[in-house]
Amino acid sequence: MSHLTPSGDWPASGRTDPDRSDTARNDTPRRVKVGVGDLAVVSDRAVLTTSGLGSCVAIALVDREAGVRGLLHAMLPSADGSASRSPRPAKYVDSGLETLVDELASAGASPRRLEARLVGGAEMLDLTAAVGPRNVERARERLGAAGIPVVASDVGDAVGRTVRFLPGGDLAVRAADGFERTL
Amino acid sequence: MRVDVRALGACNRLAERGAERAANALGELTGSDLAVEVTGASVATGEDLAKAFSGRESIGVRVGLDGGLEGSAVLAFDADQIDGLLSVLPGGASTGRSAVTEVGNIALGGFLDGWANYLGRAIDMTPPRYFEADGAAVLPDGALAGDGVFLFESRLDATGTDLDFSIYMLPDSGPFRDLVVGKTATAATAGAEGAVGSVGTGGASGGTNAPAVPYESLSTFASLAKRGSANAADNIGMMTGLETTVDVSRLRFVPLADVPSEVGTEPHVGTVFELQGKPSGYLAILFSEESGAAVAEAMLPTEPDEPLGGMAENALRELGNVMTSGFIDGWANVLGTSISHSPPEFVHDIGSATVSPLVASLSRRQDYGFVIDAAIRTEGVQARCDVYALPDERELAAALERLSET
Repeated sequence: MSHLTPSGDWPASGRTDPDRSDTARNDTPRRVKVGVGDLAVVSDRAVLTTSGLGSCVAIALVDREAGVRGLLHAMLPSADGSASRSPRPAKYVDSGLETLVDELASAGASPRRLEARLVGGAEMLDLTAAVGPRNVERARERLGAAGIPVVASDVGDAVGRTVRFLPGGDLAVRAADGFERTL
Repeated sequence: MRVDVRALGACNRLAERGAERAANALGELTGSDLAVEVTGASVATGEDLAKAFSGRESIGVRVGLDGGLEGSAVLAFDADQIDGLLSVLPGGASTGRSAVTEVGNIALGGFLDGWANYLGRAIDMTPPRYFEADGAAVLPDGALAGDGVFLFESRLDATGTDLDFSIYMLPDSGPFRDLVVGKTATAATAGAEGAVGSVGTGGASGGTNAPAVPYESLSTFASLAKRGSANAADNIGMMTGLETTVDVSRLRFVPLADVPSEVGTEPHVGTVFELQGKPSGYLAILFSEESGAAVAEAMLPTEPDEPLGGMAENALRELGNVMTSGFIDGWANVLGTSISHSPPEFVHDIGSATVSPLVASLSRRQDYGFVIDAAIRTEGVQARCDVYALPDERELAAALERLSET
């Protein structure tokens, strides 16, 4: 019988271990997937990806000088008025952005040097049309309040998107209609 | 037995965290990045599970559990992935079954470590046993015997290579049962929040009035959903003349945020509906582009100019309408409520992007939900569609509660 005893702390959601050196094992940079209502911060050459952005909004923040990047995939604008007391801060734009900035700072980024790219917030369905634009509006508002400039964005319309946040700080966006652009 | 939805949410969160630990352990071992795609608890009968797993060959490792948690746990992957797995393990293909056993040992150890923390008690794990299994024989002992079990399932996906793993855990009796039926839910949830520090476990609903659902009603609803899937399949048959079968129909308790990744990033075509009444919610009927075009063509008198143009769109709308009616037909009668649906909204986009606004909308009130998913296949013209029903959790719980009283 092996024996598992209560011990240790939990690994934090979506966070990565900077000491993990997968890149040493092969040449291609590792990929870190960011799920819905999740976020991740990296300080190596990993590619952060998030797919199937519909009405959700992705906020990509980078401090180029420190080489630290973070990606948030938020579902809803704000926890205010929500009946769900969520354990996932990244579910919401406001709490997610706050957590993302804190984690970037912990990883060595300076909040003053951060720049933002925004993707998503599509009006996918008439049934739920308001969600996407509200996510984008909230993201711009919170970024403005935090003094983080939005340097590029690809938002709105009625199209799903997939993003890859590249080591240099560029954001590659592929839309469901096949159109690709780099922000 | 009454199932405390909040406690079930906390347990699912543990399974999710356990799967993340397992993914990290496997990642270290194989040098691949592994992500946990989906973690959920199925409410299924042995018969349903046998059907869902038929035709699959699996290889993996199972362990028995004792102490803080009783039951068994399995790490499994598809048999055709064995070469891929061995190629990324230290030692390569020559290591064979001992390497697989070691992988299982490490991953399941990681998975269970979190549960031990949560329970504040040690979990004894029997030495890992390697197996090769056909169909549902992969599942933990006892999964097929009961008329209704909670089976925790996590799917892990390697981002760099083509490798998928599944972890199944079937807890039986003992402390786990007490957790799920809510007997120790308050103490356990508080304990879990302490144990996981800033991450938190979170209940299904938060707040103090978390719904408790009689298990028998949940089981009745699972049967109702299964009948609904069969009705929807029959309606496709009637409209297209194609023979249809329901491959899978399951009622699962999952984190809503996992639903989009389950639908996947391939382009999909289909229809979505808003359900109005008790329970309200959403229903999505999604085809791959190829399947959607094939089914639409089978419905149309002449071949359409474009495979997924206006004519096909109208055909799929009409099909969605009758499928949805068939799917929810019977819910109102059994639940003693009134349920209607909106007109169909046509969708053609990345699958996960299509369902994300539905999930976002429900997420205002809940983090977890009971999701019905069904896969329907047509013969002759090769086509398959997936139906996802996402009812409001509180309204469903209330309806199931009333069902138990009648």
